[in-house]
Amino acid sequence: MARQWLLLFLPLLACCSKGPQADLQYISDARSLAAEWALINQQASEGKLTGVYVGSMHQWLRTQLQTDSAALTQPKSAYGAEIAALLQQPDDAAPEALSAHADKLKHIEDALESA
Amino acid sequence: MNPLELTLGIMTAVGGFVDISELVFAAKAGSTFGYALIWVFAISTIGIIVFSEMSGRVAATAKQPVFNLMRHRLGLKLGLVTLAASVIANLITCAAELGGVALVLNYLTGAPYMLMAVATALAFVLSIWVLPFQWIERTYGLLGLFMIVFAAALIAIHPPWHQIAGGFVPHVPAGLSTKELLKFGYFVVAIVSAVMFPYEVYFYSSGGIEEDWGPKQLLTNRMTAILGMGLGSLLAISILSNSAQLFGPANVDPSLPGTAALEAAIPFGKWGLILALLGMFFAIAGAAVETCLANAYSIAQFFGWIWGRHKKPWEAPRFTITWIVLFALALLIVLTGVDVMVLVEFAILFSILVLPLTYLPLLLLAEDKKYMREYVNGPVSKTLGWFYFGVITLAAVAALPLYFLTSGGNG
Amino acid sequence: MTPDSPIKLVSELLDLPLYDNEGKYCGIVDDVELSGGPGKPLKLKALLVGPGAYAGRMPEWAMKLVKLMAGDRITRVPMEKVRTIGTAVHLECPGRALGLYKSETAAGHWIPEGGAL
Repeated sequence: MARQWLLLFLPLLACCSKGPQADLQYISDARSLAAEWALINQQASEGKLTGVYVGSMHQWLRTQLQTDSAALTQPKSAYGAEIAALLQQPDDAAPEALSAHADKLKHIEDALESA
Repeated sequence: MNPLELTLGIMTAVGGFVDISELVFAAKAGSTFGYALIWVFAISTIGIIVFSEMSGRVAATAKQPVFNLMRHRLGLKLGLVTLAASVIANLITCAAELGGVALVLNYLTGAPYMLMAVATALAFVLSIWVLPFQWIERTYGLLGLFMIVFAAALIAIHPPWHQIAGGFVPHVPAGLSTKELLKFGYFVVAIVSAVMFPYEVYFYSSGGIEEDWGPKQLLTNRMTAILGMGLGSLLAISILSNSAQLFGPANVDPSLPGTAALEAAIPFGKWGLILALLGMFFAIAGAAVETCLANAYSIAQFFGWIWGRHKKPWEAPRFTITWIVLFALALLIVLTGVDVMVLVEFAILFSILVLPLTYLPLLLLAEDKKYMREYVNGPVSKTLGWFYFGVITLAAVAALPLYFLTSGGNG
Repeated sequence: MTPDSPIKLVSELLDLPLYDNEGKYCGIVDDVELSGGPGKPLKLKALLVGPGAYAGRMPEWAMKLVKLMAGDRITRVPMEKVRTIGTAVHLECPGRALGLYKSETAAGHWIPEGGAL
């Protein structure tokens, strides 16, 4: 009976814990946002997108990244610094620079998932 | 059977199939698991076809809508629980759709999101007030056909068709970790919920009464359900497949609804982007109108009020007040600033929990000879109906644990 | 089926829609009124229409929710006014003569007439 209650509470405990595992969903989200940003800037440089769409998407991407950054339990970690560096990028940053951030976050994400 | 009416009905169903939840989950499913979740869309579509056809047949034969008969079948207490649960689920869904439309308008025009949410809600109220039922349904449904640009984009990017075909075969990808397996399970449940949303059946069946369907429309009903929804699901599968080909390899796991529009921009440029955004606008707008009206139908039918847009708004005053208040509540939810993606997650979750209560009375009614006469469920409808009832019950039981274990599919 | 035929109250009568002699929809049978008592034959006296009739069939917290959404009005339809009972109840007089759809009429004061195609 006690074991059953513990199994019920484990997911709750996991949610409330701190550290890299708790931050994994934000790292994953930030990685995707960086990759989306890179894709948008690449397509924009090829003249495939409207200026209005690009401007709107930049705004939403940045807002979402700020939310992820604020939610981190360990903002001073390597991944926290990476996300902060990403936020420092100008809206029209080079796709390669943004992809580099996405790749770094992907490596951190993969390492945490296999841990 | 009027060929023009049938064609319009099918095209309306195609254009109206995809809503914000299917858009989001199709794109995420493709980027995360490649083509492996196509079979879930296909199987869920058969499920919604089965229950839509059944609900249309019940409306045409018994001449009573689902919620009237649901109360009769479930009894007052369980009927009220079902009503309360479905109103909450549909209200959250409506808010998600309203937020989705405001987002798309922001992508198209750059106008502020909150302002677009208010303007959209007012436009919806105006369109439902002014237009008769058939015009409401047809306008949004037919203009939703801009979504065909996603299917065209899939053809243009020359995907691996053999892999897409393989995606139709039910399977679980090999080599998934426990975490990935749980995430796969969550996506299965989410897609079942998104495709088989309860509001679709309430709206479809009440629409049959609005259009005064009788036994002569049963073939139209069947063909609209099969062809309209079948072809509509191909649009959702196109979005998934585009995402698998374009987003997965680029490490993009679409976090914003607007990212999906890139699927048409990449092969077709600016015009592809604009057509995709227009398609998203009308498809999601149609869904917002349907969820709101479905809720108003449910409440009015449960309490025995006069209802329907085949009547002028002042001829069904309580029904009219109800749908206006529901839009206002959905708008209030959006104006709290809650993220549209969060609303989508909650809409999916609440809806799957309500689904078994929604479909059970429908199944029982469709087998009741007193109401259905010679149009009662045949062996195929009966077998499929009970099979899918089993599927949605399993999905409902698994939904909450999977949501928490996978952090809503994000962990 | 006529009003004096044997009826299974729960499965056949409750929650049925009502239509008056003008074909107008008048609501749903929300409860029934019986005459008689212990040891005496029960006879169906009237149909009760309106959310106020749920009170005997629901817990108090649920009634509060119902009152918030739909009010608590009850209208009594004597069995003498019922013509037939089948998949719906058909009345032999106009609904307004029995006080049916009063709430609908009251709500109508809030809805302007015009602008609809």
